This record gives sequence, structure tokens and C-alpha cells, in this order.
Amino acid sequence: MNSIDKDKDLQQPQLVSVEDDYSIIRQFIDGDKSAFQVLVKRHKEKVRNIIYLTLNNNSFVDDIAQDVFITIYKNLKHFRFESQFTTWLYRITVNKCKDYIRRMNVRKIFSPLDEGVEVSEYTTPVENKDVSRIVTDAISKLPVKLRMPLILKDIEGFSYQEISETLNCEMGTVKSRIFRGREKLKEILQPMEKELMG
Amino acid sequence: MKKDIRNMELLSAYLDDELTTEERVEVEKLLAGSLEMQKKLEDLKKIKQLGNRVDRIPESPFFETRLMAAIDSQKSDSSRTRRWVPATAMAIITIVVMIIMKLNPGLFDQVWEDQKVALAGFYKENLQPVLLAANLTNEDVFNFAFNNELPLDDSRKQYLLVGYDDSGKEFFEIRSSDKSLNRGSYNEFVTAMNLDDKQKQTVDSIIGSYSKALESQVLVNENNTVAINPNLWNIRKAIFADLLVAAEQLNKSKFDRIVPKGISENEKVTVVNAVNKLKNTSGDKYIFVTPDSIFEDSFVFDPVLMEKRIEWTEKKIKANEEKIKEVTFKVEFDSAFRYYSEEMKGHPFTVAFDSNICRVDVPNFKAYRTELPEIAAIDPLIELATNNIHFYAYKIPKIEKSNSEIKIEYYNDDSVYSYVVDYNVINIDSIVQANAGGRDLITLDKFKPVQPNDDTMLIKYQFDRDYYKRFYSDEEFKKQMEELQKELQELSKDVNNQKIRVHTEVTKTPKK
Repeated sequence: MNSIDKDKDLQQPQLVSVEDDYSIIRQFIDGDKSAFQVLVKRHKEKVRNIIYLTLNNNSFVDDIAQDVFITIYKNLKHFRFESQFTTWLYRITVNKCKDYIRRMNVRKIFSPLDEGVEVSEYTTPVENKDVSRIVTDAISKLPVKLRMPLILKDIEGFSYQEISETLNCEMGTVKSRIFRGREKLKEILQPMEKELMG
Repeated sequence: MKKDIRNMELLSAYLDDELTTEERVEVEKLLAGSLEMQKKLEDLKKIKQLGNRVDRIPESPFFETRLMAAIDSQKSDSSRTRRWVPATAMAIITIVVMIIMKLNPGLFDQVWEDQKVALAGFYKENLQPVLLAANLTNEDVFNFAFNNELPLDDSRKQYLLVGYDDSGKEFFEIRSSDKSLNRGSYNEFVTAMNLDDKQKQTVDSIIGSYSKALESQVLVNENNTVAINPNLWNIRKAIFADLLVAAEQLNKSKFDRIVPKGISENEKVTVVNAVNKLKNTSGDKYIFVTPDSIFEDSFVFDPVLMEKRIEWTEKKIKANEEKIKEVTFKVEFDSAFRYYSEEMKGHPFTVAFDSNICRVDVPNFKAYRTELPEIAAIDPLIELATNNIHFYAYKIPKIEKSNSEIKIEYYNDDSVYSYVVDYNVINIDSIVQANAGGRDLITLDKFKPVQPNDDTMLIKYQFDRDYYKRFYSDEEFKKQMEELQKELQELSKDVNNQKIRVHTEVTKTPKK
């Protein structure tokens, strides 16, 4: 087994049942602080991956993921067991990503012009990139409101219902944004069609 | 137009199996009557499938540790200043800082030192003796004395190996294996020495008498920290020597095969002196191995306080019938293991690690170890017994080293297995080594191949062979080896491209 396969094995999303999350959270509320680590271990990779794909930048992934879990830690004792824990977790994740993007946009306004240029403009020429890189770069060019549902659906495999709860919007909106996201992605990837299909 | 868009959205949702029955029937009708719709569906399918080809971000095994440290630091920082400070206040603070820095140029160093102390404090929290955490048995202590291995947790899948390299410098390794460490050497020893129950009890009590001394030598906690007292090497020798003296008294004729000349009265006195001195010595310097750093620091282990804590916990368990919490311990080293050059000045550790070993060489060890001339005096006796013991207790391997190869023989199920390892063998995992002095392990040009100047690679090799032999058929093993060979070739290619010179000669086939 080569190292890439090994990595993929490690990163397989775990099957996590709602009941399991609930019982771990109850342990935490009952005073067992170590239960929180179990919760983190179960969900951290998915959270990190959503952040990574949304921002297309791995420099801040762990900082933002840490921020997400600290927010969870501070509020977990108020969890009401009315919805899935993951819905709450991913909603916080998405909101932290939006905050980050907002901060970056504000920073760009105040940065000198040469620093404001998108880094992706200077990245590796298309012929030297692998498919994963090409697709990730293309997704990052989508507007945030199309990018997020697309990542949650086509990469993370969420249902429309889960996306609607995570992004706090109507099912119809989710349906429409996923379609528009796919259309836009196709448009961005048009010049690289050969590399992708060949 | 609006209807077209609605149809396309339905098509996209059809692909995701997110339509109601009526909607699905509607879409299928549309698809049946329109080539354009069919083509559109194919296009959308291709785009959707691209999602499966996106790589996920590499796993971060240290995320929890860092997160918990951040949470702890936030908790303790109750008087945190508000996030938004008025700009005027910021300006004033800046000016004040500039003045302070002008007057106290060493302040940043002090702040940096404080941060280091805080981090060290985190890793030192709740350290407890491995004796308790791993529930050490007499078998474990015996195994430590004769095989140099000490389990670090209850599962026995993580263990500490201590030794000396060819130049006599101390090193230790933290190893993990997929199977529990259970060599059964103690029983082999008892059988080989032909000890009856009463005699075994004597040996048991000797081993038991080291519990206290060993208690403070290796400490672990749930923050993945191992703290090792530099006297551990001496303690191991003392247990070994003490057991030799006992073995001679218990069965002289059998003992002659281990130390043919016997143990002189003078040597016995030296052993007793060394043992007594060691049992009453407790150094407060420890080497701390954490997931992202190795450092030495003072730490006072208080056995009385520990006993009180244990008593208190036991009472609590009895009173409330609370679940006993295990100390879970698993050292996983950061691939971006970093440390600071200034921290390494004066006591450079040399660190090398691969997927299941972290090895730390301690060249300046003697600078803070308790000097015990008595131990040095019994070294020849220990060396002689080490060379012969494998004849006696079958689970203790015999190791022979020469300039070109290392030969290892060990016994299993009444068969002798012999391996010869060529020095030029390349160890895939241990291809890189970081030297002391602020090296970043993810920067390839700072790596250099591990030189086989001692038996680290040999033992790793033995472990791999042993592991594969037990868990895979010959065919499976062959397949694994072929894959390994392919990886090796690709690695050589990569290494050549990076202009790094390595040897890639292949080992001789192990023979039975």
C-alpha cells in the first residue's frame, strides 16, 4: 500500500451516529471533560476539510477549526438535544469560514495594490496540476453562496436537508444554488476540460 | 425561460436523488422526450463526479492536544482584555511599550521564556508513574532489565527502549507496535534456572523492591508526555546485576552458563553498594518527550503526594462506584516536529523517527546524570552476562555486530531464527534524520540518511520480520516486499532528483 492510499484510508469519514454524539455530550455535561476530546476526534477531520475546501488555503485551517471547537466547548453545556450535534457544528464551521472570508476581503481593501492580487493567478500552470488541485482552485472561484452548498453536497455528501439546516436557508434555495454552482463550475473548468477528462 | 431553469434545477436534484415521487416522474418524462435534457444530465453528472476526485486535507493527529492546550490557556486567562480596544488606547500602549523596550531590551526574551514555561507546565500536568499507568508487573520489570524494554501504557503497544550506542552514549526510543509487548522472558528465565516456587518468590521480591525506585523514573500523562529520569539507565543495570547475584545464589550450576567465572565477593559488595545508592537517589532533572518538542527541565516527583492521590481516588471509587478512568497514552509525533535552536544549545538531542519509532540520542547526558562509579565497576559483569544470557533464556536475542553486518539470533517455538542485516541496507522509514539545532523535519534538504552505527535498524528490521511472519502468509509477505521494492525504486528516483546520495543495496535473505 503506498503512502497516498494510506492517507486516504486515514481520512475516510467515520460513520457517526446521532445517539453516540448525544451520549458523549451528556458525559461532558455531567462533568467528564475528557468526553469533549472524543467528540473532537470524531468530527475534526470533516470540520478541517470543509474549512480547507471553502478557503482553498491550508495555512489557517487548524486555527479556524480550533476556533470552531472552542466555541463548541464554551456552549456545549447549553446543547438542547433537539437537533443533530453535527448540524450545529457545521453551522458554526460555515459561519467561521464566512467570518474569515469577510475579514480577508476587508483586509484586501486596505492592502497595497500588489498584495491584493489573487494568489491563484500565479499558481502552477494548468498542465502541471493534478485534477484535485484544478477542481479545488475552480471551486474557490465560485461565489461563497454557491461554493458552500456545492462543497457540502458534492464533496462531503450532505443531503439537501442537512445543507439547508447547516446554511440556514430554504430547501428550494439549496436546490437552486447547487445547480447554479455546478453550472458555474463547468464554465470555469471549460478551458481545462482536456486535462480533466484525459 | 423560468420554466427551463426550473427544469434544470429539477434535473440537478434528480441526480442527487432529492426529488419527490411526482417530481421524479416529471423529470423522467422530460428525459425520455429530450436528447438535450439527456445531454444536460450527463454534463451535470460529470461535474458532480469531480467532487470525488478532490483530495482531502492531510490528517492532523495533534489537533486535539493543541486545542485542549488553547482551551486550558483561555480558562486560566480570566482577566482577558477586551477584543476591541479604542485606537487612542492602542496608540498609548504602543508608546508605553516602546519606552519599556528601550529601558528593558531583554523583555521579549523574558516573555518568550514565560511562554516556554507555560507550555512546559501544560506537558507536566498530571504526570504519573508508568508503574501505575501501565500497571507494571514483575514480568515487565524483568523484561526491562534484560531486554531494555518498558511498556508505557496498559495496552502494552507503546514501549520505551533504552540503550547505549556503539560509542557508549545513552539513547532511548519510544516505539509502537501493533501487537502487545509480551515476551515471556521472565518465565523462560525461571524455567531455565530451574527455580521452585519459593525461589521464584525470592526473585519476585527482589524485582518488587525496585518498584519504589522505578516509580519516579518514567512518568507519563494523558497529554502524550513521557518524562524520563536520566538515572533510568543505571536503575536498569542495578536490577540486572541484582538479579544475577540472586540467580547465582539460587542455582550456582545453572548460573555458570551465564557467568562462567561466577561473581566474586568484591563484585557482590559493589553491586550491593550501587543498588543501595541508586535506591536512595532521586534526580529532579527529566527529559520530556512531547508530541512536538523534546526538552530537559526540572520536575520534582512527590511520591507521598502521589500516594495520597491514589488513596483519595480509591476511596472515591469505593464510595461512588465511579468508573475507573484509564490513562490513555499514545505518542504520535508531529511530522513537523520543531524545536528552537537556542533551546538546544548546550544539550543537543539528536532525534530520528519513523512511523513507529522515535529515537533520541543524548550525547551530553553525563552532564546531569548522577555519577555512580559503582555502576561503572559492574559494567564488565553485566556485559559478560548480556553476551551469554540468550543461551539461557530463549526469548532474549543474541546480537553480534561486525564492521559490515549485524547478525541476530532469537528463539521462538524451539526454533532458532537467524537474520543477517547488511549495514548498507536502507530503512525506508528511517531515511531521514534531523540533527540537533533547530531543524525542520519537513524541509527535505536538511535531512540526512540514518547511518547504521548501532542496532536501531537491526531491531526495527527484526520487528518487521517478526511482525510480517506472524500476521501474513509467505505469499502476502512476498507481495508486501515487492510493493516495498517498488516504493524503494520510486524513492531512489526522488532522492536522485533531489541530489541526495543514499545507498540502496538490498539485504540478504533471512535464513532460518
